[in-house]
Amino acid sequence: MVKNKPIPVKVNLTPKEIRMVRKLLGREPTYVEWGMFDIMWSEHCSYKSSKPILKKLPTSSPKVLVGPGYDSGIVDVGDGMAVAFKVESHNHPSAIEPYNGAATGIGGIVRDILATGARPILLIDPLRFGKLETGRTKWLFRYVVKGIGDYGNCIGVPTVAGEVEFDESFETNCLVNVACYGLVRKDKIFLARFDKPGDILVLIGGATGRDGIHGVTFASKTISEESEEDRPAVQIGDPFTKKLLIEAVLEVLETGYVDGVKDLGGGGLTCTTSEMAAKGGTGVEIILDNLHVREEGMNPYELMLSESQERMLLAVNPEGLSKVLGVLEKYEIPYSIIGKVTDSGKLIVKFKDEIVASIPPKYLAEAPTIKRKAKKPLNLEKLWRIKKPKEPKNFSEILYKLVSTPNIACKEWVYQQYDHEVGVRTILKPGDSDAAVLRIIETGKAIAVKADCNSRHSYLDPFNGGAGALAEASRNVVCVGAEPLAYTDCCNFGNPEKPEVFWQFKRGVEGLAYMSRKLRIPCVGGNVSFYNEDSESKIAVKPSLVVVILGLIENLDGLVTAAHDCSKGGLAIALALMAIKGKLGVKVDLSKIPTSKPIRMDELLFSESHSRIILTTSTKENAKQILKIANKKGAPANLVGKVTDDDNFTLTFDGRKIVECSVTQMERFWKETIPKALEVR
Amino acid sequence: MTQTFIVEVIIENKPAARDPEGETIHKDLILKGGYENVKSVRTGKYLKFLVEAEDEKHAEKIVFDLCNALRIYNPVVHTHKILVKGG
Amino acid sequence: MKVAVIQFPGSNCDLDVVHVLRNILNIPTDLVWHKFFQNKIYDAAILPGGFSYGDYLRSGAIASHSPAMEEVKKMAEDGKPVLGICNGFQILIEAGLLPGALLPNDCLKFVCKWVILKCETSRTAFTCLIPEGKILYMPVAHKEGRYFNLEEDLKSIWKEQQVVFRYVDENGNPTLEANPNGSIQNIASVCNKEGNVVGLMPHPERASEKILSPYKNSDGLLLFESMINYLKR
Repeated sequence: MVKNKPIPVKVNLTPKEIRMVRKLLGREPTYVEWGMFDIMWSEHCSYKSSKPILKKLPTSSPKVLVGPGYDSGIVDVGDGMAVAFKVESHNHPSAIEPYNGAATGIGGIVRDILATGARPILLIDPLRFGKLETGRTKWLFRYVVKGIGDYGNCIGVPTVAGEVEFDESFETNCLVNVACYGLVRKDKIFLARFDKPGDILVLIGGATGRDGIHGVTFASKTISEESEEDRPAVQIGDPFTKKLLIEAVLEVLETGYVDGVKDLGGGGLTCTTSEMAAKGGTGVEIILDNLHVREEGMNPYELMLSESQERMLLAVNPEGLSKVLGVLEKYEIPYSIIGKVTDSGKLIVKFKDEIVASIPPKYLAEAPTIKRKAKKPLNLEKLWRIKKPKEPKNFSEILYKLVSTPNIACKEWVYQQYDHEVGVRTILKPGDSDAAVLRIIETGKAIAVKADCNSRHSYLDPFNGGAGALAEASRNVVCVGAEPLAYTDCCNFGNPEKPEVFWQFKRGVEGLAYMSRKLRIPCVGGNVSFYNEDSESKIAVKPSLVVVILGLIENLDGLVTAAHDCSKGGLAIALALMAIKGKLGVKVDLSKIPTSKPIRMDELLFSESHSRIILTTSTKENAKQILKIANKKGAPANLVGKVTDDDNFTLTFDGRKIVECSVTQMERFWKETIPKALEVR
Repeated sequence: MTQTFIVEVIIENKPAARDPEGETIHKDLILKGGYENVKSVRTGKYLKFLVEAEDEKHAEKIVFDLCNALRIYNPVVHTHKILVKGG
Repeated sequence: MKVAVIQFPGSNCDLDVVHVLRNILNIPTDLVWHKFFQNKIYDAAILPGGFSYGDYLRSGAIASHSPAMEEVKKMAEDGKPVLGICNGFQILIEAGLLPGALLPNDCLKFVCKWVILKCETSRTAFTCLIPEGKILYMPVAHKEGRYFNLEEDLKSIWKEQQVVFRYVDENGNPTLEANPNGSIQNIASVCNKEGNVVGLMPHPERASEKILSPYKNSDGLLLFESMINYLKR
């Protein structure tokens, strides 16, 4: 073993954790080992704060093939096919370098899906920015969208849905979440584990450099001596290499000689090798001298912790090694043979003929959890007691204003920059409906996908915000005729060491778990991003628990011609958007809207109460049948109005005109807001 | 008295940052085309400003300031070089 | 009859074209890696869309040096049908098989949307079943699709009937609003003098099944059906 050095000063482990590391190993760790524990026991890799809370989510159903614990959730979609999906956040890099930050976010999530053996077939991007009026928001918004577009378009994975929310709490810390779905044959699913001692480890893709190394300042003299001017704080996206990697990996998996595959993400080689060996109950031996590198003179600490992009690790049956390498050579993918799977039960790392680390992998992969304090924020009760504003008079004017607010306005400016058609699967496209629908060409069925979150709800009431996100997401896929099968969540919160923030997180997850049990929709994975707070003001983002859902459509016809759920802006906006998209008029009698008690007109029009859907159908008979079904199921329903073949958007109450707007005028306001804010003319 | 200067700005990724475009042009076009004496290629962005200023220093300052104020480059990943030509 | 879909590093619509040819039209189709492509084995070749070599330098610029392009040139000389879709069109232009240039869109952004096209000539291998003046609906998805040519060359391609499709409005007029990228004279597609090599920016393979089209038609299929018809003649 290499000689011990004093504990590197930059290790972020707590004194208790440091004692535990020493006790586990029964000796003083080497500096490489300190680095490995430091990264693996970090919040980012270990979920040490969030794990105890996330356990509350129900995770199983007959359709769930792989649940939380592996990189991606995998769900049975029938006829021998399965869908793997996962969501991740890339908030911090995107907030300082929106273009490459967002691009590498896509890169990471696509690798996760690929590691299950699935071909990535779609992307979803929930985004949150500050007020649209500020220069910073415009800069972030423009380049995040460009980064997602340039990367996703290049790798040929359509971006079919997303969200954009604007709120001043995201001014410094924008939220960039990315979800990817992949399609895989059930009998070809790969689980991220090393099962077979003797397998050869092949590291493929991008060369290893000193990228994203945790605790860089102490670890690498070279880096600290290098000026800030030379080293980027965010990695550069390389979608072209990623595209080759996708095709090459899918082709090597087809050879039948690959027993294990995993991407290299946060924690680099340390995370990948320790997690795969821990899951498989095996050991690993790697020789760092063999890695293909981009920079000279990298030390073992750097090689084990580098987070360089576009890399994957394969465990290859030695009999098929030449066949696997042949595929890599066809695609001109760089690779290096870095070691093998063993039955030693240890992760052994060698460099220049010395053992620099020797750790049982589960010590690394199973970090001790932390019990954080949770405390309800003091100002919340006050916020709940805010007096209602006076009831406004001119509702037509308000409706025109509302359709042009950035949160409701048309997002065509965004999704036109994304290739949402590639793959010839996209049946319902962005902007068409409440959820995107992609066909499974292989089976004749289709999946519906959507991401939802209302950060303002969550801020005021985290429990119902979390519950509401799932309720809305499932409503959205139901509105396109799909049955919700499973979801994954992306939690974006402030600093968990603050009890008020941790309370928001805890209550949010509890709400989500409640709705999950009630609707019987299991959670199959998730991502937690903490520390989203302004470094100066220390103000956290509004808690944003984003739900990313998967629904299955067995049969593409139905009674309904259009369905839309009431969400942001309530009933009036839901009706307005249906009129705009259908280019038809609407005549509705508001007195027919089912309400639990008499309410004010502004509440009737704009309340964001959950669980409400507007349906349209072509005949009176169909309408009657729909009401009958609703009645039988105990859902309040009523015939409220009709679609008209003109430009008039008319809402009345017992014959009294409440709103009278022109559909084309509303459409103009709805469409021009975002381009007007961003395009220089 | 003001004169007109040509101020050139070259923006590149920082030296330790990758440049996938340059790497691809080098590997797939230049080396495959047989130009083995070319050891690397870096791409960048080139902007040419026509600036009215008192002197070269002033011209450079105008462009330097506007590059920072308008985020012509992002210091997180880019470096930039400013060259003043002619008067 | 056998058709090759040539896969360049970074092609990403290759499987989509293969799907249409094999599953919709039942044509024997090979997906061929660019290094292995041989013209003699095939009756027609399709260069699919995507981002060959990451679209670095200029879209299509690096792929035009692929050994596959020498083979494609031979096919073109032999009068066999060659279709370049989107990035494939860019490669054919960079390789000198089609006239003009494709520049960055005038909005400087990637544009993915459905457009309306008007067929300008039925004399090509890919439009022989499409009447002149017919309106077709197809999506575009590109960042460098602004067709450009010098004035004299424009005159010449009109004279030689080398303009195949133009972006138009619902009434068939080549308006500014109908033009998604600023192409000169709304040109979306051109062919070589002989009419056997065609390139277009819109994606016919994405408009070959009713279920994918907001207009509930399969206009894109007409191009592939024309190719079959041309080969049978």
